[in-house]
Amino acid sequence: MIQVIVNGLSVGAFYALVALGYSMVYGIIKLLNFAHGDIYMLGAYVGFVVLGALTSWLSLPTALGLVLVTLVTMALTGGAGVLMERVAYRPIRHAPRLSLLITAVGLSFALEYGVRQIFGPKPSHFPVQIDAGSVNLFGATITTARIIVILVAGVLMVVLSLFVAKTRQGRAMRAIALDAKAARLMGIDVDRTISLVFFIGSALAGAAGVLAGAVYGTIDFLMGFIIGIKAFTAAVIGGIGNLYGAMLGGVALGLLESFGVAWLGGQWRDVFSFLCLILFLTFRPTGILGGRVVERM
Amino acid sequence: MTKNSLVQRLVLATAILSTLALTACSGGVGGDQNGPNDEGPIRIGMLAPLTGSESVYGTYLRNGAEMAVEEINAQGGLLGRPVELVVEDDGCDAQMATAGATKLVSAGIHLAVGGYCSGSTLPTEQIFYSNGIPQVITAANGSQLIEAGLDSVFLVNGLATQQAQSAVKFAQKQGAQAIFTVDDGDAYPKGLTDAFAEYGQPAGLNIVAHEQINKAEKDFGSVATAIVGSGADFVFCTAYVQPCALLNQQAKQYGFSGDFLIGDGAVDAQFADLTGAAYVERVYGTFTQTPDMLVGAEQWLASYQAKFGAEPGPYTTQAYDGVRVMAEGVRLAGSTDRQAVADAIHGLRGFDLFSGPATFTDQGVLADSSFVIVVLKDGKFVLFDDLKS
Amino acid sequence: MALVRARPRPPDLLRPPVRLPELGPSRWQWRGPRAPLRLIGVLAVAGVFVLPFFNASTYLMQIMTSAYIYVMLAMGLNVVVGYAGLLDLGYIAFFAVGAYTSGIATTRLGLSQVQAIPLVIGICVLAGVIIGGPTLRLRSDYLAIVTLGFGEIIRVTANNLQVTGGPAGIYAIPGWQFFGWRLRDGFTIGGLKFNGQVTFYYFVALIVIVLGVLGISQIARGRLGRAWKAVRDDEDAAEAMGINTYQAKITAYIIGAVWAGLAGQLMATQQSAISPPSFQFLHSALILMAVVLGGMGSTPGVIIGALFISLAPEFLRGVSDWRYLFFGLLLIVVMIFRPAGLWPATSLLPWSRDRRLQAETGPPSTAVKSDHRERT
Repeated sequence: MIQVIVNGLSVGAFYALVALGYSMVYGIIKLLNFAHGDIYMLGAYVGFVVLGALTSWLSLPTALGLVLVTLVTMALTGGAGVLMERVAYRPIRHAPRLSLLITAVGLSFALEYGVRQIFGPKPSHFPVQIDAGSVNLFGATITTARIIVILVAGVLMVVLSLFVAKTRQGRAMRAIALDAKAARLMGIDVDRTISLVFFIGSALAGAAGVLAGAVYGTIDFLMGFIIGIKAFTAAVIGGIGNLYGAMLGGVALGLLESFGVAWLGGQWRDVFSFLCLILFLTFRPTGILGGRVVERM
Repeated sequence: MTKNSLVQRLVLATAILSTLALTACSGGVGGDQNGPNDEGPIRIGMLAPLTGSESVYGTYLRNGAEMAVEEINAQGGLLGRPVELVVEDDGCDAQMATAGATKLVSAGIHLAVGGYCSGSTLPTEQIFYSNGIPQVITAANGSQLIEAGLDSVFLVNGLATQQAQSAVKFAQKQGAQAIFTVDDGDAYPKGLTDAFAEYGQPAGLNIVAHEQINKAEKDFGSVATAIVGSGADFVFCTAYVQPCALLNQQAKQYGFSGDFLIGDGAVDAQFADLTGAAYVERVYGTFTQTPDMLVGAEQWLASYQAKFGAEPGPYTTQAYDGVRVMAEGVRLAGSTDRQAVADAIHGLRGFDLFSGPATFTDQGVLADSSFVIVVLKDGKFVLFDDLKS
Repeated sequence: MALVRARPRPPDLLRPPVRLPELGPSRWQWRGPRAPLRLIGVLAVAGVFVLPFFNASTYLMQIMTSAYIYVMLAMGLNVVVGYAGLLDLGYIAFFAVGAYTSGIATTRLGLSQVQAIPLVIGICVLAGVIIGGPTLRLRSDYLAIVTLGFGEIIRVTANNLQVTGGPAGIYAIPGWQFFGWRLRDGFTIGGLKFNGQVTFYYFVALIVIVLGVLGISQIARGRLGRAWKAVRDDEDAAEAMGINTYQAKITAYIIGAVWAGLAGQLMATQQSAISPPSFQFLHSALILMAVVLGGMGSTPGVIIGALFISLAPEFLRGVSDWRYLFFGLLLIVVMIFRPAGLWPATSLLPWSRDRRLQAETGPPSTAVKSDHRERT
């Protein structure tokens, strides 16, 4: 039982990290950013390249090198996110919302198959792998790598919450999420703030990508697709647009899947988690935190 | 648009339609204008996945077939006519495979060789059959491929049931006490684990649990802990390379220390790289023989490397053998007629293939298919046990 | 000489500043702003009907028939998304339900395809109610995830059950048979030999599409269609106007479901084999793309979109490796330059003199309503 919960938590941490960016972007411009999962994939590949370049220049201890690589990757994928918004989303921000969805799907295809053209269809081996055995926790086994994932995800989420709650930019984001027009009248630079949201969301996804590479040791060009869908699901469970909701939703989805495997077996896992989701939304149509909280960032 | 407008539109359309129908004496309705030809080259059509996640194998298939075609042409061709290979992408997708197969038929092929995924090869059988084209399937080996009972369809790869029997034999030899089977829910891997259970239980194997993983994911912690929790000492994973490699790694991280057997879909040189250097111990695979395991295949290997600048991969030899089987059938039949070629191939006794002497059963599968056990050693799979003794 | 000369009255005052789009039934117009488009439509319909008389290669018939099945799906989804404004990310589920129902009915229960039609319709109505039911309270994105979930549930269930053949699916699905005459035999009319197997599906799909265009345009102009559009544009206002929004939404679902189910049956018989990978989420996304790309709520637009989505990969066969990259970039570019779709519901030819009509009345309202004010 504890083992099942621990398994769920470690998967859920990943979902939560990716779902955060999804939810942030949704909160501010109401866009389902289908390319978000592919930013996660891009992060893994950027980390792969940076790590390759870095290890050939200087020899750092693995842990320090990994932290450095994660930071560089976050900056690069954040930039990619901003660029994406500029090129594909901003020109049609006032078009029907579904048109944005199509450019998002188009971007997703372009990213996936662009990476495939560069790195080939075969999965690649990530040069560094966090592999420090496993520990026993209340009778459940968990690998150290997964504990690191949970910790890193937790830290990033706390930092982000503080940023949104305490800083000027955070306030600007919340203001735009509530009412973009009024925010503009109050002197908030809406375009800049939206760029910032894309930067932060994509940087988080990039960090998750590097983590995935380092924990599992393999990356491939389609790895973002499924996690994008999972993150979307997690964000909706939590109440889309709500930051804490995304975190809760990620963990909840991880746990649902873990229990699904334990009770019904792997082949019925997705049926189980989606059925729970549908039942839950039938009784609570706006997710865990969707309705109650007024501020949605 | 109004009711009237639509009625008028229909009337107009029908009028134009009938006028054109009357004048169209060249008539395309009869079907393909450039159907199979009795002169010129004999065309062999091949379907292989050249895009999508299985695109690596498509290249292996194509190269193998090219080798065989080149050899045949060097020996003067077939029935005095040169042989030509036409390759189309099936993307391992039923829709694309159907489109590709009909494109081949429209291109006027006489013979069909190829097919990697069972699911996408299945709908092509009927297309080739009804257009009078005999078919040799090179890699796909789902048992439903022979259930349609078409007498001109042949499989040069062993069936899942034959592979499962080899796996059962190996598990018995290793003295496995508790076996855990894993597949990814695709047709072929699931067929393999089902067949393993079917043959394993009467043979006295203790299969403690079966689990399914999603091949697009990377975290198999739930299944890995389930393996350890079940006390299994033998895992049979029939998914493809990456999921099996990750499962092997994660199961061993959680403390699994038994034998890890993989199906032929995952036997790939990349396995060692993907699973990580710390976890390569006791990894085995069921596989058909490859040239590097055979004595006397050095020359073939050398000419392959000279031609493509790379090592042959999985199913290269099956594609090569598939073309040769088909060519032998045509030679014996003296024509490319579907029935004649099919009868000739059914009549083959001990035709020499990489996988051994070939004789086809009434269902069109190899009567004796030799799956061997390979082991992961120094980053490569090498022959471990031919299960003959 | 008149003391007071009347000033000429400005001509504009008596005329409305903008020529209003015509409402309600009117005669077919060969003149007027949209006439050239109608002409093109007529020529296109005639063209595809006579195509097989010029080139009936198996390949062309195959890809065109697949494209028509896509057109059917896109038209059905257009009812749900384009007219009723319900974002559906699992539409392929209904396609799967239709395909599997016909497959099971004919191979396991021994019915003929014709007998299976009412069964397919019945089960699809049921599926529409089951999927539509719990989603009626949900709005936009919550609805999207629930439909996505249903799509996955159907596919995974089909993959796991015995009766659906598991991952291998159902094969050897019989073709159509009428009074002892089987399609496979083909037939001869006026000295022309029709290859039944291939060409039949082409014409059947085409006729079904034409009937569908007629039927859906009738419904869309009627009471129900207006209710859908009202719900789409503002659900609360629609309800206040006395429209039964639940009823409107569930009918949209049911019509979409039945239409997709029939497309599924056609696909199952044409391919003679079906398996779960044909019903992945990606296909739902592609159909939705066809609808949005073509122009939501616009039948000709949706048809163009569906033809584009299904034929583009075939035409890009030559550049196999690059095709999805091109495809993705193409989608972005098209959306940036035509945000309302290739052929929106009120489109005119670019060189038409009456172009200003569109400019002055503003773009069509085809957006799926955003839910700014829903959660307070």
